Amino acid sequence: MLRTNLGQRIPEGMRDLLPEEIALQENLEREVLVLFQQWSYQKVLSPTLEFTACVQPDVEQVDSLYKFFDRDGRILALRPELTTPIARLVSTRMRGANLPLRLCYGADVFRNSSVRYREFRQVGVELIGADQELADAEVIALAVEAIACLGLKNFQFNLGHMGIFSGLLLEAGVEEGFRQKLEEALARKDMVGVERLVQQSGLPERVQELLLRLPHFHGGEEILDEVLDWSSLPTIREAVESLRRIYRYLNYFGVQEYVSLDLGILRGFSYYTGAVFEGYVAGIGFPVLEGGRYDSLYADFGVPQPATGFAIHLGSMLELFPLPSIAGVDILVYGSDPQEIIRLSRALRLQGKKVEMVLETIDRDAAETMARLKSISEVRLAGEEVPENE
Amino acid sequence: MDNDFLTIALPKGKLLIDSIQRLSRIGIECQHVNEDSRKLFYDLPQSKVKIIICRATDIPTYVEYGAADLGIVGKDTLLEENKDVIELLDLKFGYCRFVVAMPEGSVPPKHSNGEYDLSGLNHQRVATKFPRVAETFFSELGMQVNPIKLHGNIELAPCVGLAEMIVDIVSTGKTLRENHLLEVAPILEATSRLIANRVAYRMKYERIKDITGKLRNDMNEEVLDVQSL
Repeated sequence: MLRTNLGQRIPEGMRDLLPEEIALQENLEREVLVLFQQWSYQKVLSPTLEFTACVQPDVEQVDSLYKFFDRDGRILALRPELTTPIARLVSTRMRGANLPLRLCYGADVFRNSSVRYREFRQVGVELIGADQELADAEVIALAVEAIACLGLKNFQFNLGHMGIFSGLLLEAGVEEGFRQKLEEALARKDMVGVERLVQQSGLPERVQELLLRLPHFHGGEEILDEVLDWSSLPTIREAVESLRRIYRYLNYFGVQEYVSLDLGILRGFSYYTGAVFEGYVAGIGFPVLEGGRYDSLYADFGVPQPATGFAIHLGSMLELFPLPSIAGVDILVYGSDPQEIIRLSRALRLQGKKVEMVLETIDRDAAETMARLKSISEVRLAGEEVPENE
Repeated sequence: MDNDFLTIALPKGKLLIDSIQRLSRIGIECQHVNEDSRKLFYDLPQSKVKIIICRATDIPTYVEYGAADLGIVGKDTLLEENKDVIELLDLKFGYCRFVVAMPEGSVPPKHSNGEYDLSGLNHQRVATKFPRVAETFFSELGMQVNPIKLHGNIELAPCVGLAEMIVDIVSTGKTLRENHLLEVAPILEATSRLIANRVAYRMKYERIKDITGKLRNDMNEEVLDVQSL
């Protein structure tokens, strides 16, 4: 049936990848996965379709899932990320595995709202069953090395901690309504709204000042001392010291120079609980890498255990790289007898050559022209030469 | 994205003059920037700043994608466009209000507290440039209305029967009066905002912090000047 206009288009946010484009994405993914494997991360793959009950259990939450029904009327969704599906996978089929568990993935994710692509490749790691700061540092260092191994130069990581802000709110004893409004404003990155809320909160001046400054605290280790000067609340102290230990480990990993501390990295409405980080690359207007500690997600699957990890939005950064030239074919086989062409091609392929068969009968001149056009260096005749001007 | 230069997007129209004044006062010399010259791109090598001039409604998009690091735009536009940008500072100029207005002859009855009773307006048509703002306002009241998106001269719609009411921004109220429209409910107030791209705010933190701080101090000084008069 002749395709209509619609049938010749693709849905918004989708794209076709041509040979050079998919080669680029696969090359980048291979580099990163080899690195992950060097760090002892093993590759897994979860299905493209999950029950919505797995990836977004809160029916009140506005989500960006592509949803379908299965034959029993249950709601399915295309995976929007891999961390939650992997938590499900580990909590079911890998229950009882030796901890800590290091897993990695490269897969497409689907988001029915993304600014640019609604299907894009993600590569990432999960380090499960480890609550040490060394685990946080390992994952952050690996994230930095992953971006560096792609050959990118102008990049930066910012590292924060969910516990400092939430610790402050907890200790200040703010009421639930205020807390919720504040988190909403922070999730919207509406600092004007945050300022207004805090100023109208009636909280002690010291707490107000800290709430207003925290989202903009940014720098090296000195900002941690500054936070401690401001507040010695136990939960804050704990988070700050934890961040300090992670930051020092990053120095041993040789990646500290790429990482700034930034207490403004606050992810509203997410599963993150501890150290959180983002990677930025010059030329891309949104973070290309997001990660952090999520110690409560596994409890949602009945197997409470700490975990940390990150994902690189690989498919959203392809434009940063030049397209590779694709390694061409070695030999063009032509002739007049299909049996001879097939026999020679098979023999050459058995020798490991990349071989293209000419499907019609052509003479040597035509074969050489064709080879030149296709950048094939060698031309081989199968059987007898085609007589000229046949 | 050049790391040395900061790209600032400014809106065409009534906010441009104030924006230029503010930036000039904090040492970004840009008095020569204006929208009449057809030039949409200005290089200010001395301040290491590039200025681009675009439609107000496009500013959040430029900033979201990182084509501009910073932007100045009204909160009204910001609410309607709903883009993923950091809202850094209330610049407090370009004050306006979102209101619901209706033709003088068809305003709804009032409650005892003096407010208009909007509950009879369900399923009516609302002409507006801001369907998102309108929809949010009415749905928070538990009401259902049908927004009709227009791109200008919203006041015309009720006069010719395209809509029963309008949601629009007003600064003085003159346009409403001239078209025999009456405000029946305030929605919210808006002023201009300094917004930043998420990545620029991290990668060019020191420069953006510097500009934000200077703009904030400049406003405080202005307030002091007015008070001392």
